[in-house]
Amino acid sequence: MDPRLENRLHTTRREFFGRSATGLGTAALGALLSQECFGSAESLGGLPTLPHFASKAKRVIYLFQNGAPTHVDLFDYKPLLGKLHGDPIPAGYVDGKRFSTMTGDASGKLMLAPVEPFRQYGESGAWVSDLMPHTAQISDKLCFIKSMHTEAVNHAPAIQFLLSGGEIPGRPTLGAWLTYGLGSESANLPAFVVMTSITKNTTCGQIFYDFYWGSGFLPSKYQGVKFRGSGEPVLYLSNPKGISREMRRGWLDDIAEINHQKLRDFGDPEIATRISQYEMAFKMQASVPELADLSGETKETLEMYGPGVEEPGTFAHNCLLARKLIERGTRFVQLMHAGWDQHNSLTTELYNQCRDTDQASAALVQDLDRRGLLDETLVIWGGEFGRTPFLQGDFNNRVRWGRDHHPYAFTVWMAGGGVQPGISYGSSDDLGVNVATNPVHVHDLQATILHLLGIDHEKLTYRFQGRQFRLTDVHGHVVSDILA
Amino acid sequence: MTQPETSFDEMIRKRGNQAIAEMTSFREKLALIALRMVLTVLTLAIGVFSNSQLGQADEPVNFDRDIRPILSENCFHCHGPDAADRSAELRLDEHDEALKVISPGNHSASELFVRVSSDDEFLRMPPVDSNRSLTEKQIELLGQWIDEGAKWSPHWSLTAIEFPAVPSLANSSELEFENPIDLFIRKRLAEEGLLPSPPADKRTLIRRLSLDLTGLPPTPEQLQEFLDDDSAEAYERLVDRLLSSPHYGERMAWNWLDAARYADSNGYQGDRERTMWPWRDWVVQAFDENLPYDQFTVWQLAGDLLPDPTFEQKLATGFCRNHMINGEGGRIAEENRVDYVMDMTETTGTLWLGLTLNCCRCHDHKFDPLRQKDYYSLFSFFNQTPVTGRGGDPQTAPVLAVPSPEQSQELAQLQSELKAAREQLEQETEELNESDSEEDSSEVEDSNDEASKLVKSLEERIEAVEKRIPKVMVMEDQSEHRKTFLLERGLYTALREEVSADVPESLPPITEEMLSVNGNAETRKADRLTLARWLVSDRNPLMARVVVNRFWQQVFGIGLVKTPEDFGVQGERPSHPELLDWLAADFRDSGWDVKRLMKRMVMSATYRQSSRTTPEMIEVDPQNRLLARGPRYRLPFWMIRDQVLAASGLLVRKQGGPPVNVYQPEGVWEEATFGNKKYKQDHGEDLYRRSLYVFWRRIVGPTFFFDNASRQTCTVKAIRTNTPLQTLLTLNDVTYVEAARVLAEQILTTKTEGDVEKLHQIYERVLIRPPSELETKVLLRGLNRSREEYGDTPELAASLVSIGEAPVHSDLPVVEHASWTALCLAIFNLDETLSKE
Repeated sequence: MDPRLENRLHTTRREFFGRSATGLGTAALGALLSQECFGSAESLGGLPTLPHFASKAKRVIYLFQNGAPTHVDLFDYKPLLGKLHGDPIPAGYVDGKRFSTMTGDASGKLMLAPVEPFRQYGESGAWVSDLMPHTAQISDKLCFIKSMHTEAVNHAPAIQFLLSGGEIPGRPTLGAWLTYGLGSESANLPAFVVMTSITKNTTCGQIFYDFYWGSGFLPSKYQGVKFRGSGEPVLYLSNPKGISREMRRGWLDDIAEINHQKLRDFGDPEIATRISQYEMAFKMQASVPELADLSGETKETLEMYGPGVEEPGTFAHNCLLARKLIERGTRFVQLMHAGWDQHNSLTTELYNQCRDTDQASAALVQDLDRRGLLDETLVIWGGEFGRTPFLQGDFNNRVRWGRDHHPYAFTVWMAGGGVQPGISYGSSDDLGVNVATNPVHVHDLQATILHLLGIDHEKLTYRFQGRQFRLTDVHGHVVSDILA
Repeated sequence: MTQPETSFDEMIRKRGNQAIAEMTSFREKLALIALRMVLTVLTLAIGVFSNSQLGQADEPVNFDRDIRPILSENCFHCHGPDAADRSAELRLDEHDEALKVISPGNHSASELFVRVSSDDEFLRMPPVDSNRSLTEKQIELLGQWIDEGAKWSPHWSLTAIEFPAVPSLANSSELEFENPIDLFIRKRLAEEGLLPSPPADKRTLIRRLSLDLTGLPPTPEQLQEFLDDDSAEAYERLVDRLLSSPHYGERMAWNWLDAARYADSNGYQGDRERTMWPWRDWVVQAFDENLPYDQFTVWQLAGDLLPDPTFEQKLATGFCRNHMINGEGGRIAEENRVDYVMDMTETTGTLWLGLTLNCCRCHDHKFDPLRQKDYYSLFSFFNQTPVTGRGGDPQTAPVLAVPSPEQSQELAQLQSELKAAREQLEQETEELNESDSEEDSSEVEDSNDEASKLVKSLEERIEAVEKRIPKVMVMEDQSEHRKTFLLERGLYTALREEVSADVPESLPPITEEMLSVNGNAETRKADRLTLARWLVSDRNPLMARVVVNRFWQQVFGIGLVKTPEDFGVQGERPSHPELLDWLAADFRDSGWDVKRLMKRMVMSATYRQSSRTTPEMIEVDPQNRLLARGPRYRLPFWMIRDQVLAASGLLVRKQGGPPVNVYQPEGVWEEATFGNKKYKQDHGEDLYRRSLYVFWRRIVGPTFFFDNASRQTCTVKAIRTNTPLQTLLTLNDVTYVEAARVLAEQILTTKTEGDVEKLHQIYERVLIRPPSELETKVLLRGLNRSREEYGDTPELAASLVSIGEAPVHSDLPVVEHASWTALCLAIFNLDETLSKE
């Protein structure tokens, strides 16, 4: 942070507490220096220069499909693949291209038709595989980008590249940038929340590294708070057995009284922050369990998200929590679902992945829409790259069919938040191998997401190691054709 | 924020009028309270800085301090060291080249000035679309500098380190201090019109010092001894005692483990466990024995290449191998190998040069005089590793077996038994061959079978012991020289021109005597040992400054250079340049004596000041860069944990050995690894070992050390945040609750009179002082409230006092025990407990 701004925050905070911290009620506002105390309830923290321009989207839900979903089997329909099924890849598609060591040289690989048929849906006429029946039903609300491409061919670097703009851990992720730039809208819940899930009995899950929601060189308060799928949603959230909430309240007041004395005596503004953080923690102890409690949801809503919605740790459960978080002002919800890495399970585990994510993803978009939240919420669905349109494995052994990593073309979809609904942008070639029209690089996607939130991606920067860093490195163009 | 970060000096100088401009533009929605605040700031800032503001105008411009930062931030990106991105064939980072657009003595005839001050947006530099722009003041400074002759000087950190004159203070009669640190600090304070703070009291000092030098609070006995010592040397005696404490090395090791990205697993998918902990124990020992820092450096970078290296010198090179290892399926081995060598190169660059070498993986540095070629020349030193990058074996050769004394003994025993058994077998085999009668033969055959069985079983036992012996990955160079090439955009497949092992061209070159003997002794070559020798030589202007700065950060909270990872042109300039150079020169000339350096810092009056502050001081110097007060900040969480363990008496002071798995919420590893890694918590004394010995799983680090380096790559900057998640830890984690419970039990079972006296004892153990009147009132009120609450709900009380595995030794009434436990837990959560004061 600019040191002058930093000092100003220090000063403001100290002044605020110095003058008005006579009771706990006011102190509670503390940590993220609240605009509320100046009469506007827009956001807590954030940079005074942001947003750079008016925007529809205020919040983001990223449904990250970890492991790389197969674009040619789900959303990118290529009839020619069916015609060439079992034939070697025609010349000119993969010359000189790098694949993972599992594929090595791709020439001579056999083409593989989509494992299930595609149909057209809605007014937009989007082609969607039978594997995704629920998503198909809402395709008029979605914007498919079929010309995504990236640089990395392995999971961890590619995911990190997509989320932070760099393949190697150390840069802030999208959620951290947004929280840093725009601040929080919730005084009792974290601004950046992460939840992970994996389909049961999946053999190819990828590890969820904590740098996927890291703050890199930004202060660590901007890193994502991971809600856990089992046990307490937030680590150390519950009081120890033997201390009731009332008893805790009493001791927190005692601690605060002594800390206030310390603040008066020592004048260190960090003490004021600490006092407020103890209050925030106390609030979270109530707000987080309230969030996780689904008893206020109607049966119809629960059914909409599909089976497993009431079971913590499932994708459906996480989708419903994502909606609740968005309702309560969380800025960025990052859901990560592992298990899309179908090297040899295209005819088996792929079906499980689709079953476990399709309905809930579609339900989330619809649920946000009917509550009037979709306009302000950008929903993104996609993985770190695509999968090879050619076969990995033995053509004669259908049960073990698979597809390898494929960075040269893949599909993501977006909904709400100022994105045009019911369109498809860009295309891959007739076999889904390379981008054919309107390529969208990972940095372009990032620039577009920031734009949708009112941020000029070239202007949201942070100085580290002597230079200004940004999410899009030194690249990125906003894909203006998809803006509503 | 796109506006350039101002240097600290500049910031302090400009504060007076900048504050006005900024504060008034700060959001339109400021309500009355904020306006009042602004007025206060102005009054204070103007009041304090009026003197220095006036003095500034007459002072000549200093190129390195005032001008280079402007050029670097705004111009070097296109007109700097990076040849590939240079526009208009103009570079402004070199004097001769810059003179193409500068007419010394005449700013209006200088193209540089004309362009930066132009109103025409097509002429104006930096261009509109660069998002960079100069302030009026910066343009004015450039003009003044040109008019004064456009004098050039090298970047401060790249100049040879010389002893600057120690300032003498005008009113030094007031000062009995001889420590040069104080003289430098006070000179600057006097310039800013600030007064130093009075010394902290003895109790504050012993706590501060004990935490800084050992990471542990003083025991009541140590406190009493210090309080009883009225002599003038009491403080120095305390310093000496702590410097020779066995816990000193443990405390010093922590920051080095963060820097050296030490962990107990590989990282990445699979995250297999490694056994690098004997290297960690060596680090502790090295600090304890005060191994001179130049040797500390040489051993870790190239101990294996020293003539007849000792076991420890080889072990020390485990430092280089602490990097992550990627065992992900489908990874290309050479890509991995290049990643590892890059990590070694960049870690070395950060720790001994303070340079951001990573920028040069892909291109010439945008700001510092470092070319991409320089990066790969440094890379070449480490590129001779025989490691191939294949697989994810956390014991990829070369490795060094580090048996425990017991294992060595067991092995020696087995080997001597094996020797005897083999002899026996040999003898019997001979007999068998020689015997002629069938009867004899069958008898000998039986015995022979037995002997060979024994040999086999001994061999198996030896193998089993050897398997148990921890193996530390260490350094070696392969015999065949591996050629190094510049890699375009850092891609391992994009080999460009060949480079040879060398140091950056812009730094003083390697000398003949630094070269190593090449095989047949006929020729000499530059290898890792050469690099290490060069780093620690007087020729390298960076190492002493960079290292001293890190130790300063450790003691004072912020480095004299606030960017310990970057001493380049874009890094922050030192707050006290002469002091940094003086300390660096002194450290180097002392023979790199770390304990002497630590002692000098903690003996200073600057360090011993009270950390109390005033609103005025906070306004003027919120981060305490000028040190008009003592350091005060939240302790690192590893130290907070050790502190409560020590205060409660639970701490197990055993040193070294394999890492331990202490309390951690269930399922953290499992959830991160899909159940592949199951957390098996240890029991008994392992739960109470120092934080240094906690198992560090790289992909999901311990959940209870907030703000710590992730140990994934080299990290030297201290991070201190203040979040509710930290609060939940110290309020609710079993570690803290159990420590409170045990401390309460100890106090309740000690012969003490009344609540006040008991509270007093708890305070003495945690905060090393008696409670104030207010504290006594508040806490005893809380205690009585808890007594009532637990009196009504004894089952809650019983639950509380059963938390943690430490056995309860007494039959205390649970209500009483629980009430005091709650009180102790509250004390653990006071700001003062969490802070170094």
